[in-house]
Amino acid sequence: MSAQIAADAPWVASLPEGTDLVEWYFERGFTDGLPVVPPTPERIEAMVAALGGDPEKVECRVPPRWGALTRHVLAVNMVMAGCKPEYAPVVRAAMLALCEPAFNLNGVQATTHVACPLLVANGPIARGIGMNGGCNAFGSGNRANATIGRAIRLILLNVGGGWPGDLDKSTLGHPGKYTYAVCENEPASPFAPYHVEKGFSAEDSTVFVMAAEAPHSVTNHVANDPQGILDSVCSAMSTIAHNNAVSSGHCAVVLGPEHAAAIARHGWTRHDIRSYLWMYSGNKFREIAFDHRYGKVYNRNLPVWYRRDPDSRIPIVPSSDNIHLFVIGGEAGRFSAFIPGWGHMSSPVLREIEGGAGPAQVGPRCVDGTCYL
Amino acid sequence: MQPVYDPRGVVRADERPLSPRVKSLDGLRLAILDNTKWNANKLLRALRERLEERHQFASVSYYRKESFSRFAAPALIERIRAENDVALTAVGD
Repeated sequence: MSAQIAADAPWVASLPEGTDLVEWYFERGFTDGLPVVPPTPERIEAMVAALGGDPEKVECRVPPRWGALTRHVLAVNMVMAGCKPEYAPVVRAAMLALCEPAFNLNGVQATTHVACPLLVANGPIARGIGMNGGCNAFGSGNRANATIGRAIRLILLNVGGGWPGDLDKSTLGHPGKYTYAVCENEPASPFAPYHVEKGFSAEDSTVFVMAAEAPHSVTNHVANDPQGILDSVCSAMSTIAHNNAVSSGHCAVVLGPEHAAAIARHGWTRHDIRSYLWMYSGNKFREIAFDHRYGKVYNRNLPVWYRRDPDSRIPIVPSSDNIHLFVIGGEAGRFSAFIPGWGHMSSPVLREIEGGAGPAQVGPRCVDGTCYL
Repeated sequence: MQPVYDPRGVVRADERPLSPRVKSLDGLRLAILDNTKWNANKLLRALRERLEERHQFASVSYYRKESFSRFAAPALIERIRAENDVALTAVGD
C-alpha cells in the first residue's frame, strides 16, 4: 500500500490591479461557458459564514473526479455562480443529496445520455429566498433558481470534473446543464406539497434531486376532468424514445396550476393521479423490442417480473411511487410537463435542507385523504 | 493586487500499481465480467469463443455486475479475484 497522493492542491494567487478576472477564470477553464463573478475574500467569507463557518470542513467528495468539496470550495463556486449567501443551505443540501450513493452521481456525470440533476425545493426556505415555482419556473429571470442551479453545475464541473468530452461523455447534453433548479408552487397547489406526501411536515424545507431529461410540455386546453388531462400526460409518457421506456427507473410529472385545479375539483388526490398515470401509460413489449427484427430482445434493464410477450404492457416506471408529482407553473395556462429520468441506474434523493423534525412519523400517515402504511 | 481562487478542491487517492502482466493465457483461470450493458454479453460471448480457439484455459467463469453504471460490488470483485487468474470485461453499449 503506497502513500496517499494529493493532486491539484488549491491555491490563491494575486494578480496585478486591473487584470480582467472574468477573462482569467475563462482562460483557466473554471466556468460553464458564461462569465463568472470573480470571488473576493469578503464574498467568500460571507458565504462560508452562511454555510456555518469552518471553511476546511469537507461536506462531500464529488465524482467522478472525487474532488473534496470543503465549505471554502463550495463558497468559491457559489460566489462564482452569483449566489446570495442565503442560498447556501439549499446548495449545500443539494450537493449532499447528489453525493448520496443511491443517486450514483458518478454515473450521472459520465453517462452518454442527456440526463443531469434536476432540483425541486419545497418548504418555507424556498419561498423565503425567492425561488420561482410560478410563471416561467423552468425558464430564465429568477436569481435564486438561476444561480442555485448554476452553482451546482459549477461544482459538478470544477470539483466533480464533469467536463464535456473529458469525464462527461454526454452525446447531446441539454439546457438544464446550465441550471435546473425550481421550487414547487405550494401556494397555488390544491394538493399537499411533495415533501409532505413523502413524510416531511409542511414546515420542513427539502431538496429533491433526480437525474432528468428536459421537460416535455403537455398541452390540454379541452378537458376539464382528471381523466382527460391525465390522458395527455400519459400520451407524453408513452413513447419508446425516452430512457424510462427502456431503462425503467423514476420520472417526474409537473402539473400546471390550472390542470391541478381542474383535477382537484373532482376530488382526486396525489395518489389517485400517480396511480392513473401509472395504470394508463406504457408501451407494448413488441414496440420496445422492435418486434425482434434486430435480434431477439429480452431487455435486462427492465424488472425481471415484467412479462415479455409481444403484447405485454411495459409500464413507464415499475410503480406509481416512481412517478414524482409536483405542481409548478404560472396561474394561467393549461399546460403540464413530463420529465423523464435517466433510468434504474440512479435513484432520486429527497433531503431536508436544515433543522426541522424530519420524516419521523411512525405508523400510517395520511396525505390528501390517502393513508400510507 | 487582486486575489484569485482555485474552485476545484483537492483530490486524494491511493496509488495502486497494476498487477504484473501475464506472459501466457494457457492454463489460467479466466473470469468474464458482464457489465449488463445492452450488448456486453454478445461482445463477451464472441471474445470468449475466439480466445478459447487460441488458448487452453483451466476454467472460464461468467459473472454479472448488478448495474452497468454502478461500481461492481466489493464482494463480487473479491470473488473474481479468488476464483481466477485473469479477468475480461467489456462495455458493449
